[in-house]
Amino acid sequence: MATNARKRALVVTRHSPYGGTLARSALDVALAAAAFDQPVDLLFMGDGVLQLLPAQAGRSRDRKDMARQLAALPLYDIDHVYADAEAAVHYGVELGAAPLPVRPLEPNGIRSLMQACDLLLGF
Amino acid sequence: MILHTLYAAPSNPAFADCLRALQPQDSLLLLGDGVYALLPGSAPRTALLARQLELYVLEPDARTAGLDSTDGAAQTVDVDGFVALTERFPAQMAWY
Repeated sequence: MATNARKRALVVTRHSPYGGTLARSALDVALAAAAFDQPVDLLFMGDGVLQLLPAQAGRSRDRKDMARQLAALPLYDIDHVYADAEAAVHYGVELGAAPLPVRPLEPNGIRSLMQACDLLLGF
Repeated sequence: MILHTLYAAPSNPAFADCLRALQPQDSLLLLGDGVYALLPGSAPRTALLARQLELYVLEPDARTAGLDSTDGAAQTVDVDGFVALTERFPAQMAWY
């Protein structure tokens, strides 16, 4: 195995944005990987799709910060971003209105994505 | 081929999320509250056994939870066995 081969990481973020710290940690790890030029994909799964609710005028500052951070991810070369289509339907989250472009995945797409990545990081 | 580790009780979203991500030929290790998925007669156990996959349970955690881990549903491993499992799989996914 080539020691310099870059492994493709998948960050799977499965928690709502503000109840705990896992959502923030997932983003921090994704950004850290990108800062070191490692390929990283990002999947919003289960409750994680709640992070994709758009910020609305008049909401709390936290809400706008998260949405703004997410919107900036493509600037850091994090542009393979996916979302759990079933969870989005379950919660009524309109993925087209998410803070950043996301590709919806059905369960078999999620499974294929996980099999294709070398390093799986769950949050 | 992925080694999944499930650390949460069946009512936790981690359980359902994990089930959706499982492929045949993946392996699943139950530990911590994850061992409760093996409770005899329970719906989580039925859901797990319906999948084709190598099922493992961490024996100390099963014993703590009061589960009989010898009923054949899952292979028991101790901590050394857990380490050996991780050596077999290039990719691992933690659900908690």
